[in-house]
Amino acid sequence: MEENRVPNIIFAWMLNLNLIIILYIAGIMAGGLLGYVHENTALEFMQQISSVTMAPWKIPVMAVLLYGSLVLFLCIQTENSALIYTKIVVEIMISLMIGYLLNFSYIGMILLILADVISRMTKVRWKYAAIGIVCGIFLLTDYNLFAERYHITPLETYLIYYRGDVRSVMLGVKNMLYSLNILFFIIYTIQLMRVQMSEKERILNLNDKLNQANEELQLANSQMEEYAKESVKNAETQERNRLAREIHDTLGHSLTGIITGLDACITLMDAAPEAVKEQLKVIADVARNGMTDVRRSVKALRPDALEKMELEKALVQMMEETKKASNIEIDYCCTAELSHYNKDEEEIIYRIVQESITNAIRHGKASKILIAISMEYNIMYIWIKDNGVGCPKIEKGFGLHHMEERLEMLHGSLNCYGDNGFVLEASIPIRWGEKR
Amino acid sequence: MGISVDKVKKRNRWMILVGAALFMSAAVIMSGIYRKISFNKDRVITVGVFSDSYWEVQNGYSYQILEDAIALFEEEHKGVRVEYVSGILKENYPEWLAEQIILGKAPDVFLVFGENFNDLAEIGALKDLDELMEEDNDFDKDSFYSSALQCGQYGEEQYALPYECAPKLMFVNQTILKEEGIELPGEDWTWEDFYEICSRVTKDTDSDGIPDRFGTVGYTWSDAFDSNGVQLFDRKGTECNLTAEGVREAILFIEKLEGLYGGYNVTGKDFDLGRVAFQPMFFSEYRAYKPYPLSIKKYSGFEWECIPMPSGEGGDNISELDTLLLAMNADTSQPGYAWEFMKLLSGDERIQSEIFTYSEGVSVLRDVTESDMALQLLIDSAGDHGGLNMRVLSSAVENAAITPRFRYSGEAVAEVDKAVRDIMEGSSNISMEQIIWNREINKFLKTRSKE
Repeated sequence: MEENRVPNIIFAWMLNLNLIIILYIAGIMAGGLLGYVHENTALEFMQQISSVTMAPWKIPVMAVLLYGSLVLFLCIQTENSALIYTKIVVEIMISLMIGYLLNFSYIGMILLILADVISRMTKVRWKYAAIGIVCGIFLLTDYNLFAERYHITPLETYLIYYRGDVRSVMLGVKNMLYSLNILFFIIYTIQLMRVQMSEKERILNLNDKLNQANEELQLANSQMEEYAKESVKNAETQERNRLAREIHDTLGHSLTGIITGLDACITLMDAAPEAVKEQLKVIADVARNGMTDVRRSVKALRPDALEKMELEKALVQMMEETKKASNIEIDYCCTAELSHYNKDEEEIIYRIVQESITNAIRHGKASKILIAISMEYNIMYIWIKDNGVGCPKIEKGFGLHHMEERLEMLHGSLNCYGDNGFVLEASIPIRWGEKR
Repeated sequence: MGISVDKVKKRNRWMILVGAALFMSAAVIMSGIYRKISFNKDRVITVGVFSDSYWEVQNGYSYQILEDAIALFEEEHKGVRVEYVSGILKENYPEWLAEQIILGKAPDVFLVFGENFNDLAEIGALKDLDELMEEDNDFDKDSFYSSALQCGQYGEEQYALPYECAPKLMFVNQTILKEEGIELPGEDWTWEDFYEICSRVTKDTDSDGIPDRFGTVGYTWSDAFDSNGVQLFDRKGTECNLTAEGVREAILFIEKLEGLYGGYNVTGKDFDLGRVAFQPMFFSEYRAYKPYPLSIKKYSGFEWECIPMPSGEGGDNISELDTLLLAMNADTSQPGYAWEFMKLLSGDERIQSEIFTYSEGVSVLRDVTESDMALQLLIDSAGDHGGLNMRVLSSAVENAAITPRFRYSGEAVAEVDKAVRDIMEGSSNISMEQIIWNREINKFLKTRSKE
């Protein structure tokens, strides 16, 4: 973003401005010293200074070298706290050396460090302490505080060499440059604050969008649920229609034939008992065919798995597939022998287990299901429990209702409890006579 | 950011390296270590000297002592050369030295005038010699006159060694004393003796109503203070001691002396013409005039002798000592050889004895000054016994009063001069004036030390 670069540009200006200021002051000092020598007034100068001055050429050379190293340290980019603190300490040290070189007449480099600290330390601990310390050094490194103790000669002593009017222009330019540096610093902080604030705003915006998307997603989810319910109902209706058609096609057809045949028999009974006999044979065939048709229809309704394999295997496979599909835990325990039952019995066992698992997952949102099958005195017990939400008041839907109906056809019974998960108990009397 | 973390790390490493290199080179320049790197096999020590005599005399031997010392030094230290810039006049020397210091090109060893010493020591241009003196077993501090050595101290530290010195002595016109039948005063004579002789010799010999013979000329309040035990300032120059009893006595004494001449302004010329009995003079002034034929003529009209200054009630027969100092550049790259050379110039008897031959001062070594050879040299150069008593000379150096050594002491002394003049001219109570002026001078010292 273009806007984010504004503080960096101002920082670059500050770097350039500080170089100018440092060179300016170093120039004034070196020029003053050379001037005193040139005018043969060095002795007079010597009587006014507080300590031996640096050789004139050394002042600008060292100032540039030290400032160069300061700039390089300032440009180090890092998020490592230890490195940042080392960096700050080194930078302060260099700044104080430059300050010392310039007789503490300028210490504005500290503002560069401060600007750097403020912008780069967003993630660092003790940020405010660091800022405070840098500020403190900036405030305390004043010429007047050190002059007495460390024998520092004021810049004004160097300036005495210059003519009065030149001197005042020089001082004016110096003060202007100092103020400019502070001004840059203020603009820098304002820009930095602006950038940081717009960054926050951007994050808030993104957050809003995320929330909105979440809501939409929830809506879509509930719609999907509705749709699923509807499709269950559709399937129910379709199944009913198919059954109706099946009944109509097979039983209806056969029964119509039987009724028509029987009516003919009643009419023929007295006139041609022989013909009736023939007719009844035909009717019996029709009935038998009808029976075959019914059997075929019923067979068509049987689960696929049971067609292909035995009940036990089919159950295990179904559970395995469910586990794989829904990541649910199923404990299966069977103490009864599960072979050689009648087909309708096998089917109902299979259907009960299948329906219960489906219910537990769909309605109960369960993660764990216990299934136990046992046999006692020709009655088979199926006990299924899940750890789902259960339902305090059981309203039997199509599934449960259907199950109950089927069980009743086999003289079995069904009980449900929904207060602690969902528990289903089914008992089926087994007709041993037909076994084998 | 388009820059990968690795790239940033690599860039950071470079910046730290280059930054540290720049910092180190700045440190090398600041410390001055680079000056030790020399492609020249020979080590060179530079010496700052001036061409004419410190004692304002052109004697033609300006660099003789230095040349002899260099020859000795280069013989003892092979591979070390000593260089100096010739042709700098004494009057230009302090300015030249200041310029060299400002340009960072000051010699390793240089002569320092007493009047510049305080400034140079204060700003740290001179190396503190204490450590070198302590560590050097060859260096015998006690062979120097303690007063001369003290002239090179600033605060508690020794910043310079004395090179040559000259005490202030009282020169006596023997002819006048003999005419009046007065005996030459002893070495422990007092203000009372001094005043008595002065009052006896002050006369109007040609009876024209104006006195034409006087007791003394050039005897100042400063001479009186020194000989009356007055310590005008404390060590650091923060406090003036103008209210001391000795000050009052000295002022009263000077007033009394001047009262003898009835307002006649006695000058040095009167002494030259043989009309004054006493004049305080630096020993070097005496020697400077002595060898010249003209001077001999100037003084030939009378016989003369030199004796210590008279002592006040609270003091001793002591006087001022003018000293030429030898100091080391604080920034020198060769402190070891510089120290050896300094030791040779100011602490070696071979070199110091040449002071009596080629200069007008007094050696700062007690043994040299008190030696027979020195006496013989003085007698030879003076052409007669010159009224010299080496014991007098030696004790005058030994017991000299040391001028205050703090910055702005010159200005402070000028203030005192103003004060004393004012007190003497005024007619009010001296003690009151002393208190007022003392307060004034303390205020001056306070503002000066604040700057």
